[in-house]
Amino acid sequence: MKKDHKITCKDVMNHICDTLGEDLDSPTCTTIKSHLDNCESCQKYYKSISQTILVYKKYEWKISSDSHTKLLDFLGLDDCE
Amino acid sequence: MNENEIIAKAQKGDRAALSKLVKIYEQTVYNFAYKICRDKEKAEHTMQETFMSMVKSIDQFSGKSKLSTWLYTVVSNHCLMMARSNKKHAYTSLDDDDALIDPKSITDWEIAPDKLTENSELGGILDEAIKKLAPDYRVVFMLRDIQGFSTEETGEAIGLSVPAVKSRLHRARAFLRNELNNTFGYEKRS
Repeated sequence: MKKDHKITCKDVMNHICDTLGEDLDSPTCTTIKSHLDNCESCQKYYKSISQTILVYKKYEWKISSDSHTKLLDFLGLDDCE
Repeated sequence: MNENEIIAKAQKGDRAALSKLVKIYEQTVYNFAYKICRDKEKAEHTMQETFMSMVKSIDQFSGKSKLSTWLYTVVSNHCLMMARSNKKHAYTSLDDDDALIDPKSITDWEIAPDKLTENSELGGILDEAIKKLAPDYRVVFMLRDIQGFSTEETGEAIGLSVPAVKSRLHRARAFLRNELNNTFGYEKRS
């Protein structure tokens, strides 16, 4: 792992985790972006965290018709179908 | 009829409008509940309690936030209550930051997103990974990263400070990423 004057890859990875998807314009994040532009390890880590989020976003559990029927019955709304 | 009009009718006691709101949001709430509970019966129970809360309290819904935001808050707290009442399960400790981010484990990742929904094997892998994560961390990851709540909204929804949300989110992401690294990570050949 390479080390910058002010910031290490580990610092960057921690901050990536804190800031991913948020505003990256603060002075700290500008430093992090600059590090990210030049550090292959951190780029890989950033990508893998982004993809972890993506796979969980894409994966969906469908409600069954049985669960739907039980829900309306539980709520006393089964006659509103 | 738009959603606000349906809510207004439901607030006046229109049962058909209530039923319509349930139908609009049942998939969303069930999917969220399942991802936290990891169990069909528990997810069903949590979903039922969430919509019962909606039916009982719809007249108090002010419309300042979206109904979906309100439902996510309710379902999150039902999930957490259920998890806390069942403490038998031991989860992986996430206290050691150094163990969570191991520079040696950093590799290139490759996923074809269009294959995700068809791949049941992948579903099993995601399931096994998130099962090891304590529900307190799952909820933060789900609200913040999957549902797109801000850090502040996530904290408000489940009664956590902003630093606590950030800390849990950081650890949940790093943990899940490490768990999936064997599946998606590979060493580039030069």
